Amino acid sequence: MTSNGQLAPGPLNRQFPAGMISRLSSGALRGAIRFYQLTLAYFFVGACRYEPSCSAYALEAVTEHGALKGSLLAAHRFCRCNPWGAGGCDPVPAARANLICR
Amino acid sequence: MDQKNLILAIVLSVLIIGGWQYMFPPAKVVPPTQTATQTTVQPNAPATAPGSTAPTAPGASSAPAAPGAAGTAPAALPLDKALALSPRITFSTPELLGSISLKGARIDDVELAKHRVELDPKSAPVDVLAPLGTEHPYYAEFGWSASDPALKMPGPDSVWSSDQKTLEPGKPAHMVWDNGQGLVFALDVAIDEQFMFTVKESVENKTDKPVTLFPWALIVRHGEPKAEGTYVLHEGPYGVFNGSLKEFGYKDFKDNKREKIETTGGWVGITDKYWMAALIPDQKSKVDVTLKGTGPTPETTKYQVDYVGAGIAIAPGATGSTEGHFFAGAKIVRVIDAYREKLGIEGFDLVIDWGWFKFLTKPMFWLLEWLYVQIGNFGVSILILTVIVKALFFPLANKSYAAMSKMKRLQPEMEKMKQRYGEDRQKLNQEMMQLYRREKVNPAAGCLPILLQIPVFFALYKVLYTTIEMRHQPFFGWIKDLSAPDPLTVFTGFGLFHWQVPEFLHFFNIGLWPLFMGVTMFLQQKLNPAPTDPVQARVFQFLPIMFTFMMAPFSAGLVIYWAWSNTLSIGQQYFIMKRHGAPVGKQAAAAAAVPATTAPADKKPKKPKKG
Repeated sequence: MTSNGQLAPGPLNRQFPAGMISRLSSGALRGAIRFYQLTLAYFFVGACRYEPSCSAYALEAVTEHGALKGSLLAAHRFCRCNPWGAGGCDPVPAARANLICR
Repeated sequence: MDQKNLILAIVLSVLIIGGWQYMFPPAKVVPPTQTATQTTVQPNAPATAPGSTAPTAPGASSAPAAPGAAGTAPAALPLDKALALSPRITFSTPELLGSISLKGARIDDVELAKHRVELDPKSAPVDVLAPLGTEHPYYAEFGWSASDPALKMPGPDSVWSSDQKTLEPGKPAHMVWDNGQGLVFALDVAIDEQFMFTVKESVENKTDKPVTLFPWALIVRHGEPKAEGTYVLHEGPYGVFNGSLKEFGYKDFKDNKREKIETTGGWVGITDKYWMAALIPDQKSKVDVTLKGTGPTPETTKYQVDYVGAGIAIAPGATGSTEGHFFAGAKIVRVIDAYREKLGIEGFDLVIDWGWFKFLTKPMFWLLEWLYVQIGNFGVSILILTVIVKALFFPLANKSYAAMSKMKRLQPEMEKMKQRYGEDRQKLNQEMMQLYRREKVNPAAGCLPILLQIPVFFALYKVLYTTIEMRHQPFFGWIKDLSAPDPLTVFTGFGLFHWQVPEFLHFFNIGLWPLFMGVTMFLQQKLNPAPTDPVQARVFQFLPIMFTFMMAPFSAGLVIYWAWSNTLSIGQQYFIMKRHGAPVGKQAAAAAAVPATTAPADKKPKKPKKG
């Protein structure tokens, strides 16, 4: 704190442009998901309970909602995919509220 | 864009193959150990340096020789010549052949009676230990050190006397060495039917003063052995100390580095993939363990593991003694576990590298071994194990295949919808949802059943790679060793010509079983609905070929598992899909070729017949 009560400018206050970080991280995530889709996903053909598949869901979620929220959405989706889950059409929620599956 | 994706996918796939081979190295045929390097053979250094209060285990490395010092490098001797250098007590049990050198009271000659270097039963037997004078000496010594430097202790060149010429189970060898100062050292070495030596050290004090002596035991190995150098399996110095396993690489002891550990209970040793030498101190006493390397280069470094026990005070006229065990032999699971029980050795089961997933790999081993005992062939055991795994997932897989057949039937219609709505994703989703409802597509079982099979695959891989029980175990026909790659390969004309296939062709040198596995993958793919993503669909067409190359260098047992597992799946899938009226094989190809507009749109699905 400086004498007039303001936060002293310091290295901690310096930030990368927020847009760059999120672009980079969502780009890396999408690359990883695509990589999975073109290799290991082979063994899961036809197993999906949902449309779109979890990887397609994740790809779309990260594209539309960014790395953090997209990952959370994808993780939530992945947890729903089990033999006791509902299954069926389960698209990524749009940025605006939108209930297409209802 | 698609083109770019495809190229990217191919590049990534190549990377995956590389990474996979690095992380999960394929099984190798062990070449006969013949290296041109020469080891400097030097006599062991004298016992503990005078003046040190804390006793250290003496032996090969307590006084490192200066590089280029007087130690000339005599040519390595053949085993028989090296053995002739000192008087010996020989032993021959069902499992072990060898001898103990009376010079230095060294256990330095142990050969496995039932294990050969190569598949050929006429090839050389496996040597666990080797005497000084050979190319790579490897031995164990037991002795005492004293805090009083004036007392003479038995050293590496002390010649012990014994009335016996041989040693056999139930008849221990008794060796004696008199230090000429009133201390008489005795060593009683017993051997059992397997791989364990029991070593009782005792000292009779004939002087008029009490003495305190510290018992020690050590294993020394000259030169870093050729290890497979992988993450899958540990090779090198290791031990269980205070209940927890610690593994070291030979590299950890370069530049004369050392590791000191105080422990009560456990063991310390040096292991190869299938064989090991280990010291087991009295499990109730505290000992100081040291692991170290001495020498300038890996080829000339002497790697030593040792322990020193607490001082034993011996009154005039009394005899002090201590007892320890020494293991030299094959890491056979039943034998190891029996020693752990019988001798109460803490963590002795960990001499076998079951890995982090011991809770999977060990049950996998026991299941396979149990099947083997019933049937008598590990290959058939693997086939039955596969059937068991498939049976566990049978209902779930059926559900998936049923959903799959419906999806496959709906595929043309979905294509049509995609074309009709194009980029309007909301509308497309809506329409697809309606289609699902109308056609009553039950959701598939999900990826969980498939995910659960990955650990099974990994555990089988690890068991085939690690355990000696799988070594040199035949299947039918040309597979004589399930833990090695299929020998009938493309470039040998499937066994017609015998020649050394050059290294750069190894990647393409695919065996019969891997080819069969590739065919099963291809057939299974024909049954599956094609992915809706066109790039994915194109890349997937290449994957059976990729996996054929990837799996080819792996142990035949693993490839057989995969091929058989695919075959079972194909049968199940074909049956279910037929029953649900899904297009299969040629029909499917025809259906896919039909322009989307002519695809049946509102055909009611046939009710699946109840079995």
